[in-house]
Amino acid sequence: MTRDWWKHLILILGVIIVIAPFYMMVSYSFKSPGEIDRGEGGFFGRQEMMVDERCVKLRDPSREDIAAAALRFPDTTDGNIRNALVAEAEADCAVRPVVFNYTKAFSEAPLLRYLLNGVIVTASIFLIQVVVALPAAYALAKLKFWGRDAVFALVLFCLLIPVHAIALPLYIMLAKLGLTNTYAALVVPWTISVFGIFLMRQFFMTVPDDLIDAARMDGMGEFAIVWRVMLPTAIPALLAFAIFSIVAHWNDYFWPRIVVTGNRDLFTPPLGLREFKGDGDGSYFGPMMATATVIVTPLIVAFLLAQKRFIEGITLNGMK
Amino acid sequence: MSATEPPVTCVAPAAAIRHATKERRAAWILTAPALSLMVVILLAPVVIAGLLSFTNYSLGNGSFDWVGIHNYEKLFTRSTYEKMFIATLTYVVTVVPISVGLGLGAALLINSLGRFREFYKTIYFLPVMATLLAMAIAWEFMLHPSIGMINRTLEMGCGTVLERIWPFMANSCAERFPLWLGDKRYAIWVVCFIGIWQGFGFNMVLYLAGLTSVHRELYHAAEMDGVRSAWERFRLVTWPALGPTTVFVVTITCIRAFQVFDTIEAFWPQGGGPNKSTYVMMFAIFEKGVQQNLIGIGSAITMLFLAFVMFLTLIQRWLVERKVHY
Repeated sequence: MTRDWWKHLILILGVIIVIAPFYMMVSYSFKSPGEIDRGEGGFFGRQEMMVDERCVKLRDPSREDIAAAALRFPDTTDGNIRNALVAEAEADCAVRPVVFNYTKAFSEAPLLRYLLNGVIVTASIFLIQVVVALPAAYALAKLKFWGRDAVFALVLFCLLIPVHAIALPLYIMLAKLGLTNTYAALVVPWTISVFGIFLMRQFFMTVPDDLIDAARMDGMGEFAIVWRVMLPTAIPALLAFAIFSIVAHWNDYFWPRIVVTGNRDLFTPPLGLREFKGDGDGSYFGPMMATATVIVTPLIVAFLLAQKRFIEGITLNGMK
Repeated sequence: MSATEPPVTCVAPAAAIRHATKERRAAWILTAPALSLMVVILLAPVVIAGLLSFTNYSLGNGSFDWVGIHNYEKLFTRSTYEKMFIATLTYVVTVVPISVGLGLGAALLINSLGRFREFYKTIYFLPVMATLLAMAIAWEFMLHPSIGMINRTLEMGCGTVLERIWPFMANSCAERFPLWLGDKRYAIWVVCFIGIWQGFGFNMVLYLAGLTSVHRELYHAAEMDGVRSAWERFRLVTWPALGPTTVFVVTITCIRAFQVFDTIEAFWPQGGGPNKSTYVMMFAIFEKGVQQNLIGIGSAITMLFLAFVMFLTLIQRWLVERKVHY
């Protein structure tokens, strides 16, 4: 340990740099605009009550309000009633900065909707990938048929094509079909995962033939074998693939940016955050960082809970 | 297969043939969805981009003209595209070696530790998991010229000895600290830095996995042969054993580096940074092809991009097949 102090020194320096933006993101999501501007308040900020200006403005008393409140404040001028009402509004609109930031994150933009979209898109991508890739992988690994080598060669060739690189022609095809600004546009290009086929094929190669023969003896058709025999044996590999796929598509920004324009109902979390940034005037740093924190948190928490699995999943392509 | 084949009798061939036909039909049905999607989603777009790169097509126009290699000619003559190549190459050439090097360094350091290995590993892997766009926005705040954490930290160095030994510090304290993202001298390097920040943890994990497969006996053997210093041990044993990992890590980092987009779009939604100094290829495809509807030129950039990426992967496969041991 004592001999290793210099290693720890270097590594801790690295830790500081790696953590810094996370620290700042979470910290800003706790602080009031004033504290962010002046750079004070430590990590959590002082959490003094602050007045939500926009809320006060919304409750700016009108002539009717003042007339209605005249009963409550007898024997005084309208001006004084007005001041009293504004003071009341200010008292009601006082919130802790952390509450302010997070409520604004969810109320200024439909963040819940974005999160839901993220879940819908990533889940459907993964499910379709499995439904398409698993049977193909099984056929390539375990069935003998004319053309198998050609199909596998095609798979290997397609591994060379990153989907992001062919985004433009894909976008044109979708636009021609009138599919831009739909869920389909967000999902379709990712339905085929050649990497998934390759990975599952390699995995199925290790499954003993006897298992499949036994299933055939029992009168199972090839379809039943894929879903009732091969799928259960493939669960560990599938789990790793799930993590790989979900992380990639939850975080993806490029593709949604291309096919979803303007229609907020289809925004995925990164697009929502981007929109928030575009709208923001200077005073919205806090709510924006709260949004960022909300978007980043699910994967980070899942990762901290199941590190081994995640690292396995993300580095899957190391197995190529 | 052999286990199921019935003993050779006069009935068998017919049954076997029937079985083989059934198997063939099943195989094609099982691969059909994947096969058709591969053709439609992966191969067709490459062909389409290839064809469109020779036209002046744009969405919404019914007709288009074949313009020959005009689009490619533009790519290699206009200064905008020269800047695009410079920005992309600067990014790739900076990010790849540094993030691979840092990944290897971190892996070696962590691997040599007894305690806290998991701790460092977890922390360094965090940026890989986090949504890059969100982190880009966090970095943007960190780099904010007046209220950002970075300039605030640097300002603390004013008036100390740092000012005398570090010209950058002296200049900045006398005038002002850099705008970072608004300054064409720094913009691309900031983007590179974030790329490295985000990616080196991934490489570290791959190297850590590679290190577990280096046989202990190799080190013992090396010691027997008189290899004493840590550096010699690394040069003679560890590095050659990590050859296959390195090939893979370098390729995947290259391909990811070529695809940089999120940070650039987040920092400079229009135009690719100060003086187009960060106008990388992905952003160019997006801007020309999607935003400005200049599909011909966008397709030409796409084709070049594909050529780069395929070339890299083919080199990798070739090296792997040779079972690299430097």
